[in-house]
Amino acid sequence: MTWKQLLIREFNAVFSNIPLLVTVFGGVIIYSFLYPLPYTNQIPKAQSIAVINLDGSQLSRAIERMANNTPQINITKKVFTIDQAKTLLTSGKITGFLMIPKHFYRDLLLEKSPPLIFAGDASYFLVYGTVIEGLVRSTSTLAAQVKVSRMVMKGENVALASSQYTAIELNLKPTFNASLGYLNYIVPAVFVLILHQTLLIASGLLTSGQFENHRKADLISSHNDSYWLVNSVGRILFVRSLLLSLIYLVLFMFYFGYSFQSYGINRLASISDLMTLVIPFLLSVVFLGTVIGLLIPRKELVTVVVLLSSLPLVFSAGFIWPTSNIPTILNVIAQLSPSTPAISGFLRLNQMGDTIDNLIQLRVQLWSLVLLYGMTSYVLMQKKQREHSAVY
Amino acid sequence: MNFLQTFKTEWQLISHDAWLKVLLFVMPIILGFIIWGLFHVGIARDLPIGVVDHDNSSISRALIRSYDASPTLQVNHHYIDEQSGSKALREGSIYALVILPDGLAKNTILGKVPKITAFYNSQYILIGKLVNSSLLSAHGTYVAQLETLKYLTISNERVEQAIGQALPISSQITPLFNSNTHYGQFLVTAVIPAMWQIIIMVTTVLVWSKGLRDASENTWLSSISYRHQLIKLLPYALIFWLQGIVYLSVFYGALNWPMHGSWLVLVAAQLFLVLACMSVTTLIFFITLDATRAMSLVAGFSAPAFAFMGVTFPTTDMPILAQIWRALLPISHYINLQIKQVNYDSPIQSTVTDFISLLLFLSLLYVAKLIFLKRKKRLGSINKDGPAMQRGDNS
Repeated sequence: MTWKQLLIREFNAVFSNIPLLVTVFGGVIIYSFLYPLPYTNQIPKAQSIAVINLDGSQLSRAIERMANNTPQINITKKVFTIDQAKTLLTSGKITGFLMIPKHFYRDLLLEKSPPLIFAGDASYFLVYGTVIEGLVRSTSTLAAQVKVSRMVMKGENVALASSQYTAIELNLKPTFNASLGYLNYIVPAVFVLILHQTLLIASGLLTSGQFENHRKADLISSHNDSYWLVNSVGRILFVRSLLLSLIYLVLFMFYFGYSFQSYGINRLASISDLMTLVIPFLLSVVFLGTVIGLLIPRKELVTVVVLLSSLPLVFSAGFIWPTSNIPTILNVIAQLSPSTPAISGFLRLNQMGDTIDNLIQLRVQLWSLVLLYGMTSYVLMQKKQREHSAVY
Repeated sequence: MNFLQTFKTEWQLISHDAWLKVLLFVMPIILGFIIWGLFHVGIARDLPIGVVDHDNSSISRALIRSYDASPTLQVNHHYIDEQSGSKALREGSIYALVILPDGLAKNTILGKVPKITAFYNSQYILIGKLVNSSLLSAHGTYVAQLETLKYLTISNERVEQAIGQALPISSQITPLFNSNTHYGQFLVTAVIPAMWQIIIMVTTVLVWSKGLRDASENTWLSSISYRHQLIKLLPYALIFWLQGIVYLSVFYGALNWPMHGSWLVLVAAQLFLVLACMSVTTLIFFITLDATRAMSLVAGFSAPAFAFMGVTFPTTDMPILAQIWRALLPISHYINLQIKQVNYDSPIQSTVTDFISLLLFLSLLYVAKLIFLKRKKRLGSINKDGPAMQRGDNS
């Protein structure tokens, strides 16, 4: 069989495999719309909160107004006890509350540093963070105003006083994702994982469909000549990795080009830099998929294995939970999945503007995985080929 | 056939099927351990940050020490210039870069309010927000100390009043229902149910497709009765239910995470979830009548469920389309109920809608039956017509 014939056979095998096509084209394209869907509003806004104002002074009402004026908070209820606020909270009407204690204004005048009480529903961390951020922001403005007015009362210049309400200013700048948008956070990482998982399934389905211990062997071999049994393993693996990688290169461009652009996600990396990373990534995934396909007795189990690994892989990739806080053993296992170095690499390159020369360690890791899974699939496939040839 | 008998025969089938055994009994434990292992620390500690100290004074060093003293942060890189610092920030080896300007100490003493700039990595939002708030509070504490000291030296005020000067308003921040903002309690209790849904659906496909494995589609379809097949699913439902009860007992028993609500309501909801998931899967199976294709659809359906559950990103801020898709996933109704029970101890009336939603999924069993009967009927007419047909591919 010539290279050309082999490539055509392989092409036909891929494009006549319905579950594979559904996973690759259906999955990748549907997910590109479905997965970002919950996050399209980017940041939670206008959380409903209640106010418990026990002070009743003019200042306390000013605090309410300031809190209500932040984009994070919307005061929708006024109650008189913490219990009332808690009832509202557990029935889902509010997500937090602000309490201004009795004599707040008097204590402020007496310079007693009176407290304001903030509470948020920590069942949902993003909601909680939003509520607290709004409350802290509005009261720190108030605190600054109080300091300025005190300094002015003591006879300082207004202009000077308003710049001196703190001894040392700390200016915190969110970097790489300036808007703190959730979509910008999740999508660039999860899209890499979607490519990873669907390619694993595709390559696994293709291989296991050919090498599983099937009863319907006669059906398949009749119109396909079992080209995977008559060609050398090296040739099959070469053609397979070439074809699947090319298909995925197109899908990769769709994700990193069209999708990212339409969602307004950073695209800092140059195409050539992306290519240096994507090639070992796709090759290692094709080979890992082949290994899974060869180890598994029935082809539907490929999807099972890949599906079950998804959430553990997301959470151990290091962009959600810091790697330094992950147990070493889990971290080591996660490094064996091409998704881990790939997610980190693409985020650094495309989102954070790191240079490709600085990614040498990740590239070495990806190429080592290519080698590891390439050789494993070679050995396993050769063994399977011998077993199957013996049967016929 | 009585139930005990069914359980016995199914048990025998399970014990001969290694994959079923693994999925039913081993995988849930391994996956549970992995997810718990990832977040068991609960509170992120010692996140690496870097500093560029252009001032190198006692004040700049004290500030760096106070950042380092924050349990969340660890200053473990000192850079000589912004360039090498920003390189480290870009490669992710530090999560923030703090730049202390020249003349920091001098300007502080002169009352000129020097400005420190800190760049934190907000690409990793969760980590970024932690770094942000820890830096703010560490900085605030140090500055308040500095100002208190200043007020004490320039006037004859008491310490208490000097603090009142430095911090005119104090704030008490209370995270309700998760008093130390423990990430394990927050994420693990949502990730495990999401994986549980995957396990239930995947295993149900395998159970359904067992019949197809040994016989052709036609012989299988004509040999079975729908009701009988459903009864055969019951033992699996019980095992899935047991998985759920086990993870709840681990969270709120062994790990001692707080649980305020009713165990009875929660455990009942779990049974409803199991049945809902199995109904969806049954429908998917009868639409495809093929193990691999059913598995692909189940994967597509259940894999992104976690994003839609509304735990990490609030449901109220999702667009309507996302909320509709969310409502089609059994696990989102269950997680509503779990949070309401565990955290809020809501009265049972408030969980009725969640129960009804889960119950509605059971109607899919009827739709699946219609599809089954239609296929069987067509099969009958084909057989009557005579020629042996090839596998009918209708999907």
